[in-house]
Amino acid sequence: MSYIENIYVCLAAPILLAIMLLRREARGSLAFTLMGMTSCLLSAYVSSFAAGAAGLGLAEASLEIAPVVEEVMKSLPILFYLLVFAPRKGDAIRGTIMVSVGFATFENVCFLTSYGTEDLLRLLIRGFGTGAMHVTCGMVVAIGLFFLWDRAWLRVVGGFALLCFVIRFHSIYNLLVNGSGPVFWIGSAIPLTFILVYMIAFRSSVRIS
Amino acid sequence: MVFVNENLIQSAVLIACSLVSISKAIKYKSRTWSLLSFFYGCWLIDDVYWMLYALFFDGKTPTLSVLSDLNWYASYVFLYFLIRQVAPPYTRRETRVIPWLAFVFTFSMAAFYMQWGEVLSNLIYANLIGLLLFSVIRRLMDLDDYRDILLLCAVSLFFVAFEYGLWTASCFWREDSLFNPYYWFDALLTLSFPFFIAATAKAVRS
Repeated sequence: MSYIENIYVCLAAPILLAIMLLRREARGSLAFTLMGMTSCLLSAYVSSFAAGAAGLGLAEASLEIAPVVEEVMKSLPILFYLLVFAPRKGDAIRGTIMVSVGFATFENVCFLTSYGTEDLLRLLIRGFGTGAMHVTCGMVVAIGLFFLWDRAWLRVVGGFALLCFVIRFHSIYNLLVNGSGPVFWIGSAIPLTFILVYMIAFRSSVRIS
Repeated sequence: MVFVNENLIQSAVLIACSLVSISKAIKYKSRTWSLLSFFYGCWLIDDVYWMLYALFFDGKTPTLSVLSDLNWYASYVFLYFLIRQVAPPYTRRETRVIPWLAFVFTFSMAAFYMQWGEVLSNLIYANLIGLLLFSVIRRLMDLDDYRDILLLCAVSLFFVAFEYGLWTASCFWREDSLFNPYYWFDALLTLSFPFFIAATAKAVRS
């Protein structure tokens, strides 16, 4: 059994100190990373509770409950940032990506403590795959929110639709990486492919400055 | 088996449609084509999820239907936004009764489907499809102002009609065979997807 709150304390402490010492953009990026890790911790609690309440097993919960809870929890810090600070587009998109990175990092650390560190290749694929998946989901929400809709109410309804999209993307990723052999490889490759396509095709048209 | 094959064909059509609309979205840097891409993407991703779920769990379907239909809800939201995006702003102030009948229809059907399905899921569909139909009917009533998007509105209406046909058929026929009307309506739904590209292209050109 892993005590994820203890892991969280160990990881969060140096980041918290750095946040106090640094200024401006570096501080903001680290704060978002910490928020992502906090979202991951909280979503683990909420997912466990919701799965228990719905009477689902581990496999079904990881497909039906966990993606919903994780994506919603991950979007909360960004929603707070958007509503309270009304940031510029670039800042908001950067913040979303850093929250996703923090989330993926904490999730990977918890995975390491639960499943061991022997198989480097599998961990490498999982590390890149999970990271790419969370970053892809965050980017879809952020870019969609800022580039598809220009009015507040459209952003709310559109944000719901985008959240639905990334939740299902996350579910399919979980479904595939729970498999073995080629299924695992394909599952891990999908989000990485999305990131590569974005870097090649969209980078020039949707620049994050 | 028919379910998986039919889903595979629908997914293939949706992949082709998504690629076309994404390429147009990139080429023209267009919000309209991006919305259509999201519409296709959402439908596709839920099709794939249901298909994979059935394959991985020996033919079982997802347990929580409110959550398993998430992207089909989102598709209707994107379709509604697509129509809003291509149509000129609606400026008439007077209230009309006929567009509101869309909600009467969708909520009546939802009440009927609740005998078999979940309450919340049916209510979400009733609201979203009601909103879409409301928007389409309101514009069709002022055809002179919205002639450019007539094809898109017509395709959307047919799409919703096929969807309701499919749901109603699923209440009475359950067998996994080609004689089940559910699959006929699903085939029509699949055939209607490419027409959204033509309709959107026409609306954008106009």
